[in-house]
Amino acid sequence: MTRTSLLFAGTAILCLFFADFEILTLNPWQELRRMAQGVLTPDFLAVYEIKVAFLNTITFAFCGIFLAILSGSILAFCFEFRPVRLFCAFIRAIHEIFWAIIFLPVVGLNSTCGILAIAIPYAGIFAKVFAEIRQESDQLPLKGLPPHSHPISKFFFGVFPVIYADLKHYSSYRLECGLRSSAILGFIGLPTLGFHLETAFREGTYSQAAAILFCFYLLIASLKYWVKEKAVLFYVVLSFIVISKEITFSWNNIIRFFTYEILPWPMRRAGVSDGSYSLEFAPGQVWAWIETVMMEEGFPGLWNTLILTQIVLVGTGVLTLMVFPLVSRHFQERWPRRISSYLLIVIRTTPEYILAYIFLQLWGPSMLPAILAIGLHNGAIISHLSGQNADLVRLKVDAPRKKVNLYFFEILPRVYGQFLAFLFYRWEVMMRESAILGILGLYTLGFYIDSAMSDDKMDKAILLIVITAMLNMGIDSTSQIVRRRLKISSKLATSS
Amino acid sequence: MFELDNVSVSYKDALALKDISIRIEEGEKVALIGPSGSGKTTLLYTLYELEKNYSAFVHQNYALVPQLSVFHNVYIGRLDNHKTAYNLLNLLKPQQKEVEQIVPILEALGMEVFLNKRVGTLSGGQQQRTAIARAIFRKSNIIFADEPVSSIDPHQAGAILELITQRKKTVILSLHAVDLALEFAERIVGLHFGHIVFDLPVSKVSDSLLSRLYQS
Amino acid sequence: MKTFAFFWLSFLSFSFFAFAQTLSFTAIPDQDTSRLQQRFGKVANYLSNQLGVSVKYIPVKSYSASVNAFKNDQVQLAWFGGLSGVQARRGVPGSQAIAQGEEDQKFVTYFIAHASTGLQASDTFPEGIAGKTFTFGSKGSTSGRLMPEFFVRQHFKKSPRDVFKRVGFSGDHSKTIALVQAGSYQVGALNYKVWERELSEGKIDTKKIHVIWKTPTYVDYNWTVRGDADQKFGKGFISKLQNALTQMNDSELLNSFPRKRFIKADNSMYEPILKTAVDVGIIEK
Repeated sequence: MTRTSLLFAGTAILCLFFADFEILTLNPWQELRRMAQGVLTPDFLAVYEIKVAFLNTITFAFCGIFLAILSGSILAFCFEFRPVRLFCAFIRAIHEIFWAIIFLPVVGLNSTCGILAIAIPYAGIFAKVFAEIRQESDQLPLKGLPPHSHPISKFFFGVFPVIYADLKHYSSYRLECGLRSSAILGFIGLPTLGFHLETAFREGTYSQAAAILFCFYLLIASLKYWVKEKAVLFYVVLSFIVISKEITFSWNNIIRFFTYEILPWPMRRAGVSDGSYSLEFAPGQVWAWIETVMMEEGFPGLWNTLILTQIVLVGTGVLTLMVFPLVSRHFQERWPRRISSYLLIVIRTTPEYILAYIFLQLWGPSMLPAILAIGLHNGAIISHLSGQNADLVRLKVDAPRKKVNLYFFEILPRVYGQFLAFLFYRWEVMMRESAILGILGLYTLGFYIDSAMSDDKMDKAILLIVITAMLNMGIDSTSQIVRRRLKISSKLATSS
Repeated sequence: MFELDNVSVSYKDALALKDISIRIEEGEKVALIGPSGSGKTTLLYTLYELEKNYSAFVHQNYALVPQLSVFHNVYIGRLDNHKTAYNLLNLLKPQQKEVEQIVPILEALGMEVFLNKRVGTLSGGQQQRTAIARAIFRKSNIIFADEPVSSIDPHQAGAILELITQRKKTVILSLHAVDLALEFAERIVGLHFGHIVFDLPVSKVSDSLLSRLYQS
Repeated sequence: MKTFAFFWLSFLSFSFFAFAQTLSFTAIPDQDTSRLQQRFGKVANYLSNQLGVSVKYIPVKSYSASVNAFKNDQVQLAWFGGLSGVQARRGVPGSQAIAQGEEDQKFVTYFIAHASTGLQASDTFPEGIAGKTFTFGSKGSTSGRLMPEFFVRQHFKKSPRDVFKRVGFSGDHSKTIALVQAGSYQVGALNYKVWERELSEGKIDTKKIHVIWKTPTYVDYNWTVRGDADQKFGKGFISKLQNALTQMNDSELLNSFPRKRFIKADNSMYEPILKTAVDVGIIEK
């Protein structure tokens, strides 16, 4: 465990040499002061003006998560099949913003795009977690069923009731994530909160931005009071009715997109220049095209994404190790502990994309703001979990009194394994975020994908998105291997 | 009806049954006795495997679904007799027809007040009765029961064993309470370290035979 | 599952209604995007009165979103930049540029610099910008990206990332001014109309930033309509639309763009933009 930790820490330090930490703004503190002023003088009237965006944020999340649960459950049934597993890994390896980028040209900037962008990656996540929940569930009730019952009856009598509570708990956690995703989709133009948040930040109207953010926190905090088991279906139906007016679907677009626009340029070149829009199959030229894209954009993007990911991974770890004592009963009295844990909740409720956006506004597009944003968000989540975990440790009477000794000799050795598991569990999440932040101007994969979109080159954008997904799948399985070899379990991490 | 001829069963290299030969006819009431670890449960499961589609089984650890009500847990006994749609309908709303058949069984076990209670909230003894109710409800003439009264008061245990022997034609039990075995079974099989030590009608089982079984 | 199928069916029928002859249009978000709805809502009212069909404005967040909305028929009309117009028309065969602002015949990009760079205004290409940090506007902008990149490449024979110490994309012209003024980037390039408007509104501190070079002129913004508009809204619709645009004389409406007035335009005027985009590598050949 120590060796692995040192190996990763060493890699991160090496990566630091390639990263760029320049603060570009001449006077970042001035802007920060204006932001602080905005936080103190929130303009709630602005939120009233954008109530439709608020409603959209909620309806997109409800519809998206509902569809994801539905299709995720179906996929979970066939999760033993390797192709299904790979398919799920692939769809969840693509960030919801990238999915929105893919669907934007197909269905347009509307509810359909937003809902699909949430539903697809979350379906992959649900499939995996539901299958895991099922695998790890109590098998004894199944033994009591008549052996020749129909599999569907068996499932609904012997499995579903047993795992229902876990499914519900996990789904409600994911609904919260879905709301975050729904909000940030606005940053690329969907009509949710992010749309107005981006405008407010861009134009420096921080009072509006603060008000929108406060209302978003309230929304998340209030979930447990109004999203009740019996009411959920009602909300979903209501959400579908609300958005139904805006659902557009054009087969022409879908066909044009999938059978023409995303095909590599060399296949379309001749048809575009003579106006016939015909296709030709030229494997040699397609290969050359792929090679060029990879050399000029794919590899530089991969390199920067990996560097950022590795620094963030270790940075998050260091941050967590420093912060988790603040929320543990062994180190803090009740009130300071409570205040720190509220602070952690606020940080992890803020979507990392928004954190990054704010920091980039302050310091310009270097890796520093990105590292801070991803590190803070993930650090807050893992600190919370590690703190909980530390609280489970029962101290012996002869435990050291000095906090430093207590930390290093009693608590840390016992929580370190699970801490590492949490950290590695979020490795691929950090990579996905590192890639996506390229949209904000860093030279990670997101930058090149966004550029390809701007240049109206869907073929290139899709190729780069697929590469991003493969990197993500690679990191996901590396993380699994590392966790298995270290024999550490992140069981709590799924219910974070 | 059941016949094993020189069967051995082992778990993870440890031999649980050694060269067992046994034959059980329809309508017999058999009790398997012996010290713990003698292979009673294994023999029970091995016999059950032969006719499992037509048998009911009361598991030692009940194998109930704690999240479902007593009604549903009992209903599970006939899950394979109905169409899936009808099963799901019963899951959502217990059908009158099924309730009418289940309530008398629960009454006989003193469980009728718990019909709609979640099994997870019941005591061990109540759960064990639920498991017995399920086995009785099952459409089968054969019942296997692995220590079916282990969590039930001794003075009620007799009544429950009587109920079981009344309702099912062929009864195969494993029991650690020898007196109950002698009272309700017609044939006693003594097991020790995976061997059948004796297999006799209840009238031929002597005290000395029993004390030897539990001492050696 | 049944209810689910029912929902999808009801959406599809709903969406049928939504398609009932509404002309939707969008505009590239090239400057401050707040209150877009108010600004362009008035333009929608004007067009609706002139054309006798209901007209709806759809706000977008990026240039590429406006191009995609046009390609997938979410909007049938759009106020594009030179480059986004070319991209959109390539994606929708038969679509036409029908109008442009009077100023768009001779459009100019301004290169601006922060005072701390010591760069002075000049009539020739400002060579001193090499090695500085530099921000474009949006990646899809003509005046904020395509033309400045073209002149940079033409002069240095290198890509901007090799010329400058750091290259950024601010997102829009207003932000370019803000970033250079704040010193986040030393040099920037933007649409001259936005510069002049913000200058007259007093948003620019001329002690901190100033224009260092004005590019040669080129053709820029345009109104582009889908070719199937006549089919959808009735014969002669496109020419009616063209007249409505060129006859717009309410200064409040024109200020949304901001243009003095609109004049007729056609696709061939934008050939040079296509050629430049191919040279720069934004459009493949």
